[in-house]
Amino acid sequence: MPIELILARLLRIGSIIAAILLAIGIAATLLTGAAYAPRFITAGLVVLLATPIMRVLVAGLVFFRERDWLFTLFCLVVLCSLAAGVLLGQVG
Amino acid sequence: MIMTTLEIFLIAITAGVAGAILGLGGGIIIVPALTLLFGIPIRTAVAASTVSIIATSTGAAVAYLNDRLSNVRVAMWLEMGTATGALTGALVAGYLNQRVLFLMFGVLLAYSGYNMFKARKAELPGEVLPDKVSQRLGLAGSYHDHVLNARVDYQVTRSILGLIIMYFSGAAAGLMGIGAGIFKVPAMDQVMRMPFKASTATSNFMIGVTAASGAVVYFVRGDVNPLITGPVVLGVLLGALVGARLMVRMKTTTIRKLFIPLIIYTAVMMMYKGVSP
Repeated sequence: MPIELILARLLRIGSIIAAILLAIGIAATLLTGAAYAPRFITAGLVVLLATPIMRVLVAGLVFFRERDWLFTLFCLVVLCSLAAGVLLGQVG
Repeated sequence: MIMTTLEIFLIAITAGVAGAILGLGGGIIIVPALTLLFGIPIRTAVAASTVSIIATSTGAAVAYLNDRLSNVRVAMWLEMGTATGALTGALVAGYLNQRVLFLMFGVLLAYSGYNMFKARKAELPGEVLPDKVSQRLGLAGSYHDHVLNARVDYQVTRSILGLIIMYFSGAAAGLMGIGAGIFKVPAMDQVMRMPFKASTATSNFMIGVTAASGAVVYFVRGDVNPLITGPVVLGVLLGALVGARLMVRMKTTTIRKLFIPLIIYTAVMMMYKGVSP
């Protein structure tokens, strides 16, 4: 399967799960106002947030499997920068 | 409460449609709408907007990847620039004069806007000679254009210069808390000479990664309010799905006509922030 279709499938799954969790959370907040409702929204946002990071990771794995070392390295550089940015943000 | 949520939701759908078509995050609509119309604090608005950039990117990229409009190899090459740039931007943010930055990036955008205006009638870039790096990395691409009803094969040139510009666009995103799509599209369209549709689709694909590192920080700081961010993100996600379907059926010249005023507006706003007291 070409890399475009693998990544499209990953992003579709991520956005569907996020959308369902968000819709449940928003509906529950508006209709019942229950205290647990916003947690569904937060869970949906976390899934959405993880999707692009997973996308770089999966792209890296696909390039690795195709023995495309240069592009595997590019994905690693992006992942390391993301990780450093997150750690930096927590400190600052 | 229900009315407000519904209003936010509808504005977010509009932002998602526009963001998907133009290859931007839609923050240019979300942040002013939340702060001016609903009186939401700027920190909460920026956090919601940053998370919504990921929604635009993810929602639109599904369609663009299936249509082969997003160039995955170009995106991975350039993401090295945006990711390390965003990191540098966050590191040096406290040490630089914000005014000078806004002025500098404003002038740069105005120049891109002017160049894009000159090329406004061009549907495709024409003959492009690939550089050595582009050939070595296999950056060339092709897609089926629904409007022209033809397969478009294209080459990519000035790959190193493109990477350098992406580094600075990433740094701008980190420094000023903006989505950098407005820099990414001209860099691919004018500098690397990619077709405009491939440029906006690839920018769309990339902005999710740039935004993710920023969004994690807002999450940790507790700036992400679920009751505001939730409706924004769901709306943007749905809007992006619709926008991506619309974009493949639009003429390049039409998309350019929407992009040019926006780039000029952003340039003027940035220069204004640079000189206003």
